[in-house]
Amino acid sequence: MTCVSRGASRRPSLSLLWGAVALVLSGALPAVAQDPDPLSKLDPSSKFAVELLIDSANTLGLPSDYLRSTALQGIALKVDGKRIVVECRKKFNLLKTAHAILGSVGGEELKAGASVLYAGAKPNQLAPFKARQQNRNDLEAFTIWADLITRGVPSEEASSAITKLWQDGADDATFYGLWNNVQSDILKGLNPGAAFQNRIRETPGRPTANKVTPPEGQENQSSR
Amino acid sequence: MIDSELDPYVEWIAREARRPVVTDQAARDRIMASVRAEPLPQRRPRLWERVLEPRAFRLSPAGSALIAAGLVGIGVLAGGFVHNRDGGLPVGLSPIAVVPQTQLPVSDTVVKFVFVAPQAGKVSVVGDFNGWDSTKTPLVRAPNGAVWTVELPLSAGRHLYSFVVDGSWSADPSAPLAPDDGFGHANSVKLVRRGSAL
Repeated sequence: MTCVSRGASRRPSLSLLWGAVALVLSGALPAVAQDPDPLSKLDPSSKFAVELLIDSANTLGLPSDYLRSTALQGIALKVDGKRIVVECRKKFNLLKTAHAILGSVGGEELKAGASVLYAGAKPNQLAPFKARQQNRNDLEAFTIWADLITRGVPSEEASSAITKLWQDGADDATFYGLWNNVQSDILKGLNPGAAFQNRIRETPGRPTANKVTPPEGQENQSSR
Repeated sequence: MIDSELDPYVEWIAREARRPVVTDQAARDRIMASVRAEPLPQRRPRLWERVLEPRAFRLSPAGSALIAAGLVGIGVLAGGFVHNRDGGLPVGLSPIAVVPQTQLPVSDTVVKFVFVAPQAGKVSVVGDFNGWDSTKTPLVRAPNGAVWTVELPLSAGRHLYSFVVDGSWSADPSAPLAPDDGFGHANSVKLVRRGSAL
């Protein structure tokens, strides 16, 4: 590199300039080469699509870590990039739906609400959870709700029962106790729907009989 | 009119001064060339003049490429500093930035993960708290040989996780299930409140 200037006395300062550029280069290039972002394991087009969804979620105030976590899990399971993008897009849309229904709730509740929708609940079934007391959140209710549907409890029954428990002011321990009993019965071999019907009647603040239809032959079992 | 202007000598001088001078064009060119060849008066330039003075550079293609690469590097570093997709700390500039982005910055509660697998040779836990990396959080086998445990600080909230037992993913039988993640596998859910875990 040659510098043409009027005074030879200016050469040292230009040398310093080039030295600074070289210093920056030596620091910047390894940093670029390392690229610690785990999303880089995706193919470029899938990575771009996932990042676009993450940016969109951030822009809308949605918890983008839900999408990032989905992508990272897909990468860990060595799932095809296109399938990862499909899942991220699906969850992004569920987050938007949950946000539209629940309003301004925390990110964790939005993720839990999206999970309930993902499990198979209908969007309008989330609506009763919008009204809430101060300092009360629906994380336990949503978590148990999604679990029950995932384990095979009919979606309508699980939705109406969980909603009623929530509206009756059931606490976290009540939801957790219900889940513990139902999954225990399922593990013992009981049909998920029957196990749920049995246990919901034992639960404090249980829903009224006309909301949840008990299975045949179990109508006269005592409650609590 | 003053008296001096009437003086014949003054008039003569004035007339001579007003008369056009006829010079040889070649001589004029020689004179001007000599003037232009003279160096400009030297004055020590001020700092701002030195900074603002235009300069001409000649760069080789390799040099140009080197500078371009340097500018790209600066851009990448600056971009990482001012923008982080997850709203976290920038990557590559701070010691904290070497922590994976998915790791939660605040740990509210120490959560104990327990998995019973007497026949397993290796058990680890993966989740949204460690970027689903099976190498990051191995469980330790208890002295009785059947129970594997690890304690992990987690922030308050809802966490998805799974155990990896000898390379196979397995949900926690003692925790609620999350729906199928779309990849053919259902994770477990850990709810962490400040100071306690479900």
